[in-house]
Amino acid sequence: MANTKRMRPLLGTYVEVGVHVAEMPEHAINAAFEAIGNVQSLMSFHTSDSDLSRLNLAGGKEVTLHPHSIKVLRLARAMTYASGGLFNCTVGGALVRLGILPDHGVRVSLESGVADDIELQGNKARLKRAVHITLDGIAKGYAVDCAVQAMQANGVSAGWVNAGGDLRVFGNFVLPVQRREMDGSFLTLGGLQEASVATSTVRSEHDKTFPAWVFSEYRTPQTGTWSVLARKAWRADALTKVASLANPAERNALIERLGGKLAIPAGALTPCA
Amino acid sequence: MSKNNLNGLWLLSIAAIVTPAYAQDYLTAAHAQQAIFPDAEAYQPMLLKLNVSQRDKIQTLSGLRQRWEEQKVWRVEKAGKHVGWFIVDDVVGKHEFITYGIGLSLDGHVMGIEVMSYRETKGSQIRDAGWRQHLVGKTLSDPFKLDADVPNISGATLSCRNVMDGVKRLLALQKVALANG
Repeated sequence: MANTKRMRPLLGTYVEVGVHVAEMPEHAINAAFEAIGNVQSLMSFHTSDSDLSRLNLAGGKEVTLHPHSIKVLRLARAMTYASGGLFNCTVGGALVRLGILPDHGVRVSLESGVADDIELQGNKARLKRAVHITLDGIAKGYAVDCAVQAMQANGVSAGWVNAGGDLRVFGNFVLPVQRREMDGSFLTLGGLQEASVATSTVRSEHDKTFPAWVFSEYRTPQTGTWSVLARKAWRADALTKVASLANPAERNALIERLGGKLAIPAGALTPCA
Repeated sequence: MSKNNLNGLWLLSIAAIVTPAYAQDYLTAAHAQQAIFPDAEAYQPMLLKLNVSQRDKIQTLSGLRQRWEEQKVWRVEKAGKHVGWFIVDDVVGKHEFITYGIGLSLDGHVMGIEVMSYRETKGSQIRDAGWRQHLVGKTLSDPFKLDADVPNISGATLSCRNVMDGVKRLLALQKVALANG
């Protein structure tokens, strides 16, 4: 069966949507991109009127948010807690100070916080302390999950969505996957089926062409390329940050406890420095 | 060394430079037009020539340099009426070479952007080590299998800033050089 695919610039990167069916369902491809655009407009740190920015700029007051925003905040808070802060969605303040994220003119007294700083009740959210939430480490994967859902709801039985390296494949076919290494070469990982893979690269210096940045107040991320497999893309996305920050001796077990799997198990290959 | 051999060497080295590490074609111009303007009935091609003063104005308005003097533009029509513009543009980044199509409304709004072809130019070698066998049977319900089709790429997130800059430049180009009606 033929594959049909499209690419559009979204989420600050290039998003590819592909279907593995005989006919090209235009409405399904459009629905997938729309779902991604929707998550982008809700959870962007860069625009001051997104749900995320309204929460960050609310000065500790309660704000009503879209169910998608509440869900991602819930997942991000749970992952922050479960990973012991290796994944931490409260480091927005530090990333603003570093110039990685934009400053919307509100003074942030804390560079980072803890899971408990986020209070969620129904469709309302509140920040208990002056932290800034960033969903950059999880929302891209979540957007991929939403796009997959949109394609399935539009009758696509098999396909994939790849948002700048956060990739999810669904249905009865195998998608071959390669990984872009730090030197620009490609490494064959294998074929992916009914699963997600996400990759983060930790560089020693910030590179604007690859703007993602792993930050921790307490640990230095290990330079290299980190790929994690999981059922859903939001989890794979979040766990790449955990992989780069984890104690090497505990990395494999920790990622597995959190519901993922290192695509290249530690010990099988030294990550490219 | 004979002249013929030298020519052969030159050809080889040029081929090595332009062979992209990763290349995907998504849409032809005609398909991108239909995707962005599904209701349109005619797309009239024109090769827009920009003089120095127009290119300067584009730079002043957008802050970005209009590098080429010609730009491929289509006048989009429905029932004989002019409804928008379709423009094909290239952007070259540190790692990527991208051709995309953009649809603009007559009042200067972006109707849609479709990447037509995507090339990553850095790094020409595909590494294919035997250790990839490590993946088989070790993943969540064995999701990794080996296959020989065109691969997809997972990797550090490449910024789409170059295309977004291109869009800014083309919106300025519309103001400077495209007349409605």
